[in-house]
Amino acid sequence: MSGKVITVTSGKGGVGKTTISANLASALAQMGKKVVAIDADIGLRNLDVVMGLENRIVYDLVDVVEGRCRLRQAMIKDKRVPELYLIPAAQTRDKTAISPSDMVLVCDQLREELDYIIIDSPAGIERGFRNAIAPTDQVLIVTNPEVSAVRDADRIIGLIEAEQKGPGKLIINRIKPSMVERGEMLSINDILDILAIDLIGIVPEDENILVSTNRGTPITMSGANGTSASQAFCNVARRINGEDVPFLDLMAKNSFMDRLRRWLNGN
Amino acid sequence: MITQTAPVISIKGIREGLLITVDEGPYDEVFHLLSAEIEQKRDFLRGSRIALAVGKRPLHRHQLAEIQDLFSRHALTLWTVLAETVDTRTAARQLNLATRLPGSQTDLDGNVRQLVEREVAVEETTVQANTLLLQETIRSGRSIYHEGHVVIIGDVNPGAEITAGGNVIVWGRLRGLVHAGALGDETAVICALHFVPTQLRIADQIAIPPDDRRHNPIPEQAAIQEGQIIVEGWG
Repeated sequence: MSGKVITVTSGKGGVGKTTISANLASALAQMGKKVVAIDADIGLRNLDVVMGLENRIVYDLVDVVEGRCRLRQAMIKDKRVPELYLIPAAQTRDKTAISPSDMVLVCDQLREELDYIIIDSPAGIERGFRNAIAPTDQVLIVTNPEVSAVRDADRIIGLIEAEQKGPGKLIINRIKPSMVERGEMLSINDILDILAIDLIGIVPEDENILVSTNRGTPITMSGANGTSASQAFCNVARRINGEDVPFLDLMAKNSFMDRLRRWLNGN
Repeated sequence: MITQTAPVISIKGIREGLLITVDEGPYDEVFHLLSAEIEQKRDFLRGSRIALAVGKRPLHRHQLAEIQDLFSRHALTLWTVLAETVDTRTAARQLNLATRLPGSQTDLDGNVRQLVEREVAVEETTVQANTLLLQETIRSGRSIYHEGHVVIIGDVNPGAEITAGGNVIVWGRLRGLVHAGALGDETAVICALHFVPTQLRIADQIAIPPDDRRHNPIPEQAAIQEGQIIVEGWG
């Protein structure tokens, strides 16, 4: 078995990397895959909180890299979903505590036992980002339909391409179709115009996300599968797994869907 | 007086603290030497995190604990033990000590491994060419500098910068910053299929396009006419 390493990154902070990492890992695990999520945001760890596993942290990624514990000891097994694990970041250190080569070592070992390794990258373009992409097989770039987020995503894609890990696939997160309709928000076409990479997910703004992160239960796990964000996350998981899944019908109104359909058909 | 066969201690600064390397020799002598060294250099070492490299020497847990005590009596923290024997590393872990330096050549268990040389692709730029031709989109944050002409088949995204001594031709969307004639040539021109730069410069002149340009996607050329930058449609 050789697992696949997927890095979720963005450049800009606060666009939804951690939420997407948690939900993607959870969705893949519920599809029967063996998944580990790794929080690479050393010093500002969040993935443990969003997954509701913070109380169970004994060892973290830095302990593994510094040889204070075995890799297995740092893997927290989620009790709600079979074969879902978390390796948390350290909160008391910073991103210089580990190197890109360390991340490659960790992932090489994890590949032997797991199907998917989801790395939640920190924001920025410095060491933390470089750590997160060093071992990667596939990069997912998360952006919001917002000018500065897209600008940062463009920079990140450039850096990933320069490292020969590109170009990556795009997830547009927190889109509000009604605002796009009114011309108040960047449309999918506007974003793809600049970023020019393949789209793998369109996730609508969804209030339930805030509730789920506060509770520590990823929305794809909580059974609130009727919400559109949850459905969108599951679709991304399925696409990663090789399925051809059509993008969601986010709004009943025709004009938005017409434009989307036209874009999808290559017009 | 130091004899030839006495163990040697070396102290080196590393990024995470201090590395103390202990040579071969019987444990008691080494411990004694370590105590003396720490005592003597007390002011210099005070408050440091210490990584202790013990090489092939096997150390038991109680010996490591003894060293740990020695250090803490002098306000030092023993944080990592670098050992070549598995038993020593296991003993160190039991005391919650690290056994590896991040970024090191060893694997996660502390064993030295063969490094595989990763081939890093080197971007080939023909510096000697009069015209630099790039067939790709220039993304945000990327900076291109060339003394001759620059031709881009692709887009120039916002946040990207093109600086050329000669002309700049963009066969695509120009949305970034471009400076033609950067070495002083006022006859330099800038052409693009879709001309919406954040800022354009020719020689010493700077111009900012007006806001409504987005709705005018015809090919255009910028040149200095009568002392200022004028942008005109092509054809």
